[in-house]
Amino acid sequence: MAVVDPQAVAALIDAPVTRVEALSGGASSATYAVDALHRDGAPWPLILQCAATGSVPEGGLPRADQARLQQLAFAAGLPVAEVVRVLEPGDGLGEGFIMARLPGEALASKWLKLPDYAPARAVLTRQCAEVLARLHQLPVSAAAGLALPTASTADALARMFANYRRFGVDSPVFDLAFAWLKERVSDRPATTIVHGDFRSGNFLVAPDGLVAVLDWELAHLGDGHEDLGWLCCNSWRFGVWQKPVGGFGQREELYAAYEAAGGGPVDRDRAALWEVWGTLKWGMACLQLGDDHVSGRLKSVERAAIGRRVSEVELDLMHLLKFGGI
Amino acid sequence: MAEQIEAQTLIEAVAGFLAELEGELSGRRAFHAKVAQNALAIVARELAQTPQGKEQALLAGVMVADGDLDGLRAGLCADLRSGVKHADTPGLVDALLAVALAKCAVDNPRYATFKRLAAPATS
Repeated sequence: MAVVDPQAVAALIDAPVTRVEALSGGASSATYAVDALHRDGAPWPLILQCAATGSVPEGGLPRADQARLQQLAFAAGLPVAEVVRVLEPGDGLGEGFIMARLPGEALASKWLKLPDYAPARAVLTRQCAEVLARLHQLPVSAAAGLALPTASTADALARMFANYRRFGVDSPVFDLAFAWLKERVSDRPATTIVHGDFRSGNFLVAPDGLVAVLDWELAHLGDGHEDLGWLCCNSWRFGVWQKPVGGFGQREELYAAYEAAGGGPVDRDRAALWEVWGTLKWGMACLQLGDDHVSGRLKSVERAAIGRRVSEVELDLMHLLKFGGI
Repeated sequence: MAEQIEAQTLIEAVAGFLAELEGELSGRRAFHAKVAQNALAIVARELAQTPQGKEQALLAGVMVADGDLDGLRAGLCADLRSGVKHADTPGLVDALLAVALAKCAVDNPRYATFKRLAAPATS
């Protein structure tokens, strides 16, 4: 991962910077912790997120637009990190942005299990419902000018199937799930701003509750039920399958709180379809990660091993189709 | 025993070596050493359980035809894409559930859904 000069960051935010530390580097993005100082000398903890290769992978939301959407959500009072500075081409750091670094635990495996976080787990279902209800109520016009991907449900399913076929893999379970969905998903226009990756692994959590929703890069226009279904996919329950909402709550509590917060009526069957869809979508992501290795794009034992997680997804899908839920 | 050192023995030896190495590594490399040990455990289970043989028998039953596994998979996928077969085709869902169980038993027997289905009495 590239080393970022503290002075360069200081110039971007017009404040002294005492430390820049690389936190993690993925295939497409790099994250740095930045310690800056306010004018009065108070600490100003920040996060710098930029594209590792200087560009964003195809299909993702451009980082500048991701930052603007995040800022839009912040202005609407949603729990997200405030964006401080959007990077520009002249900054020399690729696409990216600088945002507030908030205190909290991002590892779901920790906050789902540690006793300290029991109070958070008790309120998280309601908090998630409120965040989604408010996000889904934002007028699409508020995001005008942002390159949010948009597709009707039928088009989105057709695209996902085309993506599957691109890998040259024959999985009867995946094909059965595609056919099953195609028969049941009615074509709906994209009318709502959807987070697109609203799950336990993307929450910053304090012992008393939700601090922030992270990772807005898969945001798009679609059906709000997609976020409700994705949150309940078994893949994000970290083994706590008895609590379908992210490993911490029950569906009915989520739906009722969503409706009470003004998110509109939840069609239970439609939300269940989106769970099947979300499970299949995670299967496509596993195929993609395995393909990174097989194609030689990113040879790594980790990518190769993740490819075998396809079996978990296939088993979840068969559970869903056989028993009507999971 | 045909060989003094069988494939399973080699896998165990390499996994043991990786476990030793893991202690001397840190960060991403230590994590990859752990992932590599898990990957070897998958290989060991695959050799012991031969899930592809089970899948071939199950798919041959669904297709009412013999053939190699790749051919059976491709044929079934084609039938599902064209609508010739679907979720209501007798025996299809149960066969694919059994295939998925056999694969998950190899790839991740600790997965919650596998444990749930493999031991329904305790779930």
